Amino acid sequence: MTISLNHPIIKKSQSLIALFLLCLFISLLSDKFMTSTNLWNVLRQISVNVCISVGMTLVVLMAGIDLSVGSVLGLTAAICAGLLKSGLSFESMDLFVGFSVLGAILAAILIGMALGLFNGWVITKFAIPPFVATLAMLTIARGLTMLYTEGIPISNLGPEFEFIGSGWILGIPVPVWISLFMVLIVVFLTKKTTFGRYIYAIGGNEKAAFLSGISINKIKLAVYGIAGMMAAVGGVLVTSRLNSAQPNAGMSYELDSIAAVVIGGTSLSGGVGTVAGTVIGAIIIGVLNNGLVLLDVSPFWQQVVKGIVILLAVIIDKMNQKNK
Amino acid sequence: MKIKHLSLMLLTLVLVFGCSSKEKSEKPKIAVVVSTLNNPWFVMLAESAAENAKKLGYEAKIFDSQNNPAIESDNFENLISSGYDAILLNPTDSDGSISNILKAKTAGIPVFCMDREVNADDAATSQILSDNYSGCVSIGIEFVKELKEKGKYVEILGLVGDNNTWARSGGFHSVVDKFPNLKMVAQQSGDFDRNKAMEVLETILQANPDIDGVFCGNDAMAMGAFQALQAAGKETKVKIFGFDGAGDVIEKIREKKIIATGMQFPKVMAQTAAQYADEYFKGRKVFPQRVPVEVELVNAANIKDY
Repeated sequence: MTISLNHPIIKKSQSLIALFLLCLFISLLSDKFMTSTNLWNVLRQISVNVCISVGMTLVVLMAGIDLSVGSVLGLTAAICAGLLKSGLSFESMDLFVGFSVLGAILAAILIGMALGLFNGWVITKFAIPPFVATLAMLTIARGLTMLYTEGIPISNLGPEFEFIGSGWILGIPVPVWISLFMVLIVVFLTKKTTFGRYIYAIGGNEKAAFLSGISINKIKLAVYGIAGMMAAVGGVLVTSRLNSAQPNAGMSYELDSIAAVVIGGTSLSGGVGTVAGTVIGAIIIGVLNNGLVLLDVSPFWQQVVKGIVILLAVIIDKMNQKNK
Repeated sequence: MKIKHLSLMLLTLVLVFGCSSKEKSEKPKIAVVVSTLNNPWFVMLAESAAENAKKLGYEAKIFDSQNNPAIESDNFENLISSGYDAILLNPTDSDGSISNILKAKTAGIPVFCMDREVNADDAATSQILSDNYSGCVSIGIEFVKELKEKGKYVEILGLVGDNNTWARSGGFHSVVDKFPNLKMVAQQSGDFDRNKAMEVLETILQANPDIDGVFCGNDAMAMGAFQALQAAGKETKVKIFGFDGAGDVIEKIREKKIIATGMQFPKVMAQTAAQYADEYFKGRKVFPQRVPVEVELVNAANIKDY
């Protein structure tokens, strides 16, 4: 039996093969890579990007894009920390509402969802390209974060909250559990529900999807809402990990997230791709970041190398599409 | 439909002008142009410059250059055309900002630089500078003393495109590199960001579990480094050094968990710059080109003063 590069199994798992080769390469150069602490570090470090990226995958599958995720992460992180630390007070009514850890997290996730729904509303109601609508949200949410925090980090949020980012359950870091849970939810949505099939249908051919009676606007609203929620989950993770909400948290995270989606084989023109691919994409970026630092590669070169990897991923993807 | 469009446009107008409307007045106007408002340190610098100008009886407004000399250039053009009388500038770039300052100078508007230096002697009216380089020379001396002239260490740089990053790194290495038994095992960037610094040090600790010291290019990264070391159970073995004088690092020095930082004085720089503008309006025309504001070393010995 000959194995050609066009063999369907190889094509389907090419990002997995790329990940394997990358790991092999790094472990040949450094014996510190394949240790359990280092691998747990990598998984914990990528958990934020995984949460954002599974949401982003749904958006990209619909041929959309969400540039606001990093800023939404920053704003929800700040609000979560602010509520936890000082609650809500309405001086005019002499009313004070304190927040438990769970309450603050839920509030952050709801606000993330609301911001995402707002993106979806602008995109569907006014037929504005997602690129533009979410670019606007990127600056709005960052500005609101600065207003809310006055540019100063909100720190010392208590040991209970810190557990989410730094704790372990059954030998696995809590952030890894959380990101795994988010992945499973979105995998279920895409594989097992009509909602998921509609997302692929819209990305494949929006007109055909519309003509076959899918209420496109509702699906789009929901998808941008989910992307906002996932960004908020990422925000909670980052804040808890640092035990502090930084006003510039999440800055340029949208780029890492789009990179993970693209490296994972999801087509930016929509309709093609999987959540599992995105997770592998996020792991590749994480391993690359980790390996380059382990080998003490100069920070200047690191940026060049990361860019080249993204480019290679897209080129391979394009060549495969041609072969079909 | 037309009414809807009209009302949308009106709303936009109200938003744009409602936020910026202010009454006319005869008071001289001072603009505070700051390199970025995405970093608490610069927010403090800008706000205290504006506050000081207001205290002296001037109108003051803050403009954000978003770390971009091109946006700074736009800010300057707008300021010149809208009739500002003086500019307190925190430049985005020591070379890139020169042409902007010269534009203001040509228009007869004095520019007072704060914190960051520009490489020209005839552009700004005066430059009130925080000496990053010699501040980190003192950190370097403390570092050598604390590590007893030998051991392995890690340097976490700030943004690699930022001139403060290299001024700090340069000052530190001008001392530390004279001691051959102090070996730098990794030099990586943490982008001045707490999370990035923590993740980078987590990884470095995998390759170099036996380090003795970490020098970070700012205090946010020193906090990130502390968290990475704490998670690895090494926070008592590895000596951490920062730069800036941020509140949370001062607390950690008090608890003896971080060794030292360089305290900068943004408020002093802001106050001096506003003071100079005031004197300029009152007729003083000759100012020293460079006014260094010293960076103070904060360590366990003098922490009680902070």
